[in-house]
Parts: sequence; C-alpha cells; structure tokens
Amino acid sequence: MTEYLIRRVLQSVLVLFLISIVTFLLIHAAPGGPTQMMIAPGLSPEAFEVQKHNLGLDQSLPVQYWKWVSDLLQGDLGHTFKNNLPVSDILWPTVGHTFVLMAAAWLLSLIIAIPWGIFNSTRTYGLSDQTASFISYLGFAMPTFWFGIMLQQYFSIKLDWLPLSDMYTMGKEGNLADLFMHLVLPVTVLTLGFLASYVKYSRSSMLEVLDQDYIRTARAKGVKERKVIFRHALRNALIPIITVLGLDLPILVSGAALTENVFNWPGMGRLFVDMALAREYSVLMSITLITAVIVILGNLIADILYAIVDPRVQIGKGGKAA
Amino acid sequence: MTSAKKWISVTLSIILFGVLLAACSSNSNNNKEPSTESQAPTASPTASASAEPSADPNQPVDGGNLTFSSFSDIVSVNPIYVSDTASGDAANFIYANIYDYDREGNVVVEPWSLASDKVQISEDGLTYTIKLKTTAKWSDGQPVTADDVIYTIDTVRNPDAGAPGISSYDKVDTITKVDDYTVQIKLKQVYAPFEYVLVSSVAPAHILKDIPVKELQDNAYGKDPAKTVTNGPWKWTEWKQTQYLTFDADPNYWGETKPHIQKITYKIYADQNTEVQALLKGDVDSTQAIPVTQVEAVKKDGNIRVSSKPGPTYEFMSFNFNKDNWKDGFVPFAGQKTRQAIATALNRQGMVDNVLKGTGALMNAPFLPGSWADPGDAAVNYPYDAEKAKQLLAEDGWVAGSDGILTKDGHRFSFELQYNSGNSRREQVSQIIQQNLKEVGIEVVPKAIDFAAWVDQNLNPGKYQAILLGWSLNNPDPDGESTFSSKYFPPNGQNMGWYKNEKLDKLWVDGYSTVNQDERKAIYKEIGTEISTDLPYVFLYQYSLPQGIGPRVHFADEDAPEPTLPYGYFFRAINWWVTDK
Repeated sequence: MTEYLIRRVLQSVLVLFLISIVTFLLIHAAPGGPTQMMIAPGLSPEAFEVQKHNLGLDQSLPVQYWKWVSDLLQGDLGHTFKNNLPVSDILWPTVGHTFVLMAAAWLLSLIIAIPWGIFNSTRTYGLSDQTASFISYLGFAMPTFWFGIMLQQYFSIKLDWLPLSDMYTMGKEGNLADLFMHLVLPVTVLTLGFLASYVKYSRSSMLEVLDQDYIRTARAKGVKERKVIFRHALRNALIPIITVLGLDLPILVSGAALTENVFNWPGMGRLFVDMALAREYSVLMSITLITAVIVILGNLIADILYAIVDPRVQIGKGGKAA
Repeated sequence: MTSAKKWISVTLSIILFGVLLAACSSNSNNNKEPSTESQAPTASPTASASAEPSADPNQPVDGGNLTFSSFSDIVSVNPIYVSDTASGDAANFIYANIYDYDREGNVVVEPWSLASDKVQISEDGLTYTIKLKTTAKWSDGQPVTADDVIYTIDTVRNPDAGAPGISSYDKVDTITKVDDYTVQIKLKQVYAPFEYVLVSSVAPAHILKDIPVKELQDNAYGKDPAKTVTNGPWKWTEWKQTQYLTFDADPNYWGETKPHIQKITYKIYADQNTEVQALLKGDVDSTQAIPVTQVEAVKKDGNIRVSSKPGPTYEFMSFNFNKDNWKDGFVPFAGQKTRQAIATALNRQGMVDNVLKGTGALMNAPFLPGSWADPGDAAVNYPYDAEKAKQLLAEDGWVAGSDGILTKDGHRFSFELQYNSGNSRREQVSQIIQQNLKEVGIEVVPKAIDFAAWVDQNLNPGKYQAILLGWSLNNPDPDGESTFSSKYFPPNGQNMGWYKNEKLDKLWVDGYSTVNQDERKAIYKEIGTEISTDLPYVFLYQYSLPQGIGPRVHFADEDAPEPTLPYGYFFRAINWWVTDK
C-alpha cells in the first residue's frame, strides 16, 4: 500500500510538471497580451513596448517559465500584470467560495440521489422512476445559465424572496443566514445538474447488484426485502458510486463557471473567465494547476477508496488492501 | 465490509469537516475586513448615515448610498497609471481634476477643480500657465501644490514609469514651478489638444516622490485604499478584488461644494446581463452598460430612466490600401468612386434604426455629431441608394462577372471583413454589409476573431482587407492625426488601413498647430469635406451603451449625466443625491 502510494504520488508530480509546461506554452501561444487589451487612438507603440518590458513580457519563454516555476516552488504564485496584485490574494478566497457552493450542491445531490436511486431500483418504471428520468433529461438538456436566469426572474425579481446574486449582502459578510439565502438559487441549479447523473448511477448500480446470485439466494432463503436491500445489496452498490464521486471532484472547481457568472458568485470559475479575457497568465496558470492537482487527487482517492471497499481489486505488487 | 463502511463514513466526515472549515475560514477572513456598517461612524457629522425622505423631491438631501455597477474591476486608481475605464470611473470620485469639462466639452474651472483660473495660453500658443487653488488639500491634510502637478507630469513623461499616458506629454518641452501654486508648461510645438490633457488628476508628490520611478507601478499607492491619499469629494475606503469598491464622503473635503451622497459602492458583476438583472431588482442604482437588445425590457420596468444618448465612441468600416494584403497586389478599394459606391450601397440609417434601436447617430466624418468640430453639411452624406452605387461602380470600371460578382482587370470584387467575435452588434452590422453589398455585386466574407488576437495579429500590424471597428475617444478634441496621417503607418501608429492623403496629412497638422478655436473649426470643416469625399473609412455611427438610472437617484437638469463626455456617466455627481425610494 505504501509503495503504491509513493508510486502514485511520484507519477502525479511528473504529470503536474508536464501539465505546467503544456499550459504555459498554450497560454503564451495565444495571441494578444496583457498590454494589448486597450486599443484607443493616440496610444503610441512605444508605450506598449515600455509596458511590455516593465512586465517582463519581452523575455524569452523559457526564462519566463523558469521564473514562474521557481517562484511557485517557493510558494509564490506570482503577480497579476494589470495591477501587480499577488495572485494568491485574489485566488485563494475564490477557491474557498467555489468550494462552499459546490460542496453544498454536491452533498445535497448525494443526499437526494442515493436514496432516490435505490428506491427506484426496487420499483423500476414506476412513477418515481419516470419522474427521475424526466428530471435527469431536464438536467442534462437545460443550459444552466438559462435555468439560473429563469429562477432569478421568478424568485428574486418577481417574488423578491431570494437575493439575486453574490455570496453575501454587502455589509453582512460572514453572516451564515445570509449566506444560506444566497446559496438557494445557485445550489438548485447545480443540484439539478448533479442529480441527473447520480440518480441514474445509484439506480443502475443497485439494479446490477440486485441481479446477483447471492441476492437471489438471500431472497430465496426468505430474508426480508428491506434487509436484502440495505444489508446485502447497498454496500456493494455503493462501490461504483464512490468511484464516480471521486472522478467528479474536478467538477467542484471547474464546472461552476457558468453558474458563478450568472449568480455573480465570487468563485474560481468566474475568476477564470475574467482572467482569460484579461490574458492574466499567472492567474490562469495557477487555476489550471490547482484544477490539475484536484483531478489527480480525485483519481487517487477514487482508486484508493475503490481498492479499500472492494478487496478483489489488487493494488501494488503483492499486497492486498486491508 | 465493516472496514469499508468505516472508510466511507470517515471520508464523508472529512468532506463535511472541510465544508465547515471553508465556511468558517471565509467567515473569519471576512470579519477581518471592516464591515460597511462599522464604517458608518467615520461619516461626516453633517450627513446622516441614511437618507431622510424629503418632502420636496427636488430638494437635495445629504446622506444615503449610491451603488453603481461595472463588469470589470479596476486596475489602479493612481492618476499616473489610470488607463482603463473602470479605474477611471473610480478615480473620478476620489480625485479632483486640474480642470473639468462643461456639458459642451469645453475646458472649464469648476468649484471642484484644482485650478483657480482658466489655463493661460501664451500668444505663441507654446506656454501653458496653470494656477491652482490655495485651498485644495489631500485627504491627509497636506495642501495640493505645484509640486504635485510637476511630479505627476514628469513621472508620466519618464519612460521608466511605464505610464500609459506617456504619449499625451510627448510634445512637452519643460515644466517650471513659478510659485507654490503656479506651474508653467512649455511645449516644443503648438499643440491645441494639450488643453484637454490637463483635464486630469494629479498624484501626491509628498507621498510618492521618494519611491524610485521603476518601482512605482508595484507600489501599494493606487491599490491599497489605506495607502491611497486622495483629494476628491469622496475617499477610497475599501476594495474587495473582483467584487466591489466603496468610497465614503470625505468629511475634510476642501471644496466649497460638498457632496450630498455619503457612500458610493462600485459593484463588479460578471457580465452586462447580470448587471441589468441587478438594476431591475434595485440592487444597483446605475449601470452604464445596458445591452441595446435589453433597453426595451428595462424601459418597461417603469422606474428606471434609460439614457440612450450616444457616447464618445464611433464605429466604422475601414478599407486597407496596403497591396500586401491583397492577392496579386490588386486593391479593389483603390478607386475613390468605388469607395463612394460602397458608402452609398450601405443602409447606414437602417443600421442605426434596427441594430442600435435608435441609440446611435449617423456619422459622415470622424467628428462627433454636435461637438464644436462637427463639420455638419460640409461632410458628404451618402444616403442609401443601391442604383446609384451600381452606377458609380460601373463608372469606375467594374463589370458583372458570370456569377454576378463584379470584376475588373480579371479580379473578382470579393473581400474579407473582420470584426471581433462576441460583439453581437458588429456581427449584425457585418451581415447587413454583406447583404447590402451583395445587391450591388460585391462579395463580402465576414470573419469574427477573438479581440486580443485580432488586435495583435491584424490591427496593430495593419494586416486585413477590411474591418469593422470603433474608436473610443479619450477627449473631445477633434485631432485625428494618429489614426489618419501617413506619418502613423504600422508599426509606428494606428493608421492601420495604410491610408495616404497628403492634403489630409497637412490639414491634421494645421488643425493642432493653432489654439484659436475659430481657425481650428475652419480646418476641421475642410478635413470633414475631404475625408468624407475620399473615404478611407465608411463612417457608420456614433453609439453608446445606454445608461440606466434607478428611482433612488436624483439630480437637477444641469447636473444630469452627459454620455458624450469621457466619464460623463457621472457628470457633476457631487450635486447628485439619493433617497430611500
């Protein structure tokens, strides 16, 4: 297990290194730079050049990359070009904000989806199952920004029940009740998206297990249905769901960009969009790297959990999971 | 299996704990910031924290909050580095300008200007003398003096500072301090637009003078409210990056006219649509970027005043005369009649009516309609007339080819029209152009490119066949040398269409080489006639993003927003007031 972990971590570091080079090159290959977002009559090319030099953008790519990486290894994410603010000052708060939003949506979806999927697996094609299917299609098909705007129009502008956007009312920062009110609409939008896949996963996973010989045996022996479902089937059915959850972790950071934009949520997704338009390389690179770290961690956790809950999966050279 | 169950519950607990931790840590972070409520005690004693409903709605009341929105964050409010609209908007509340504009765009001295008298320009037009008020103070109590003006101009002029305004001062020769409140600036040549350069704010020399110029851009001044000493009616109290800025009325403000509004919040939204929703909800009191397509919906609300007066921006289609951009070096736009035919074939009034929904004004020359340099009828107008266009094209030697597209000397009349992707207005206009020109036998291939890439690869080096672009004017001066003179071909300037007209080259210089406005007016009239006849651009229209103002905001007619001026959205906001409803 330890050997496996070390190997996976080393692999991850290598992957991260490669990702950093690729993203650095891709972002810098994109035309247009931080100095060129402004075009107005009378702006002299000399002014552009001076600015470029001051920002260090006239240095060669390897030099720029090396500077960035060495700063990064010392824990310095760099500065924005436009106003020379430390990237960490801008970035870290947004990571927290996104996490609050996504974790709320994710947990709510799990709490609804798993029991619902299990229930549907016992009554396939019943009313509840059909409803879940309908909602799933809705969740897949409906653009999140459109759904978000609809909710805003009705619950915020027309009925005036809920705040329109932002994370807190100004002046109430840190107030949990205020945060809760602001969470309702964006979480509803995101939950619909998550629900769609989770209900389906837990239903099909459960159905698959229910079809196994040992369940039939249990039923044949006269074990009560409730006991069959919860004691025998559920544990095994959860295994693939865990994998999906682990692999879904990256969505926690990247998937919310549109929702964050519609609801003006001060998160990482919104920041990424802003910074991409402004060609703020250092912020973009940092967000990409954080996302990469989370993807890799998500995969790692999924693998480990999977191995732990299902002893049939072998990890490492010889050892079995505890 | 029990171990599996344990693991799941442990994992879930960790996640839950993480959520709580994130929530708590964001709380504690936020608690460190002074909350808006805790700032109330700093309010001036004369202004109450919230606006009192007044019996007479035309009677200004002191106090209250004004919230306005933007879709971009500021960069720096340091007057040396302000170059983007968002920072400029913010700077306008917290800094006084040396001079200000009146509604017609003339440079004047207002009670809130730093100058005490109109700028004195010497007989030969080379020396500008600025006299400052002796009462103006920085928010730390220090006086605003000649040293501040000299420091600011000298720093912007210094290439090491990397100041974006460096090109405004390239005609300055020397700056001298006459006394503590008088500055004399000598120019190398007569340059009339220089008066407008002085409608700008200054940086505090006593705070910044000892910082090496190269480190100035990295300095906290202009980025950290606590370290940014200002001299305007409001002072900067908070900046939450990508979320909001706040300005509070400065209780020690030096001006005789004091601001009515106690607190101003500059709220940053993700995009224009979100801004409009916030305006409708009443979360913001003013937004200056309602997409044209949503103007009707906002007007329907009934409570919101929508000003759709065009701003200091105009749009055009530019032809490229550089042979390198054309197959076989054949420039189809070479003939003046051909260019006039294209202008005639375009339904420009239709664009204003349908695409802009009436929020723009037709233009025939690069001078804003209604401004002092507007040549009026002296500029040639080309009313929409497809038949006349066909006739002009025929006169210029174009004949219909087998596929209906015109040809000349074996060349089909087909060109690529570039514009920036994501700009729905330009997308629609490009389609109208394509349709209109097809009717007279010209093939247009519209091409949308990402803005930054476009600027970098096509506009700056002047590599395109035709473009749809707009200019946003920094000041009301009509000087257009940097975009139309052959002195400024890429990469040394912004005459990106490689247009050369010796008569115009000379007229632009004449235009800024005198400070006599009547003489200048006559010259720009001549330019208007020449440029609208020769047509390096098809001038389309002046446009704006309509401003929406919520019901809480009040102002007298003479203080109403003036969108034709730079930063005119908050024209004389010092006299505005807000009520609770």
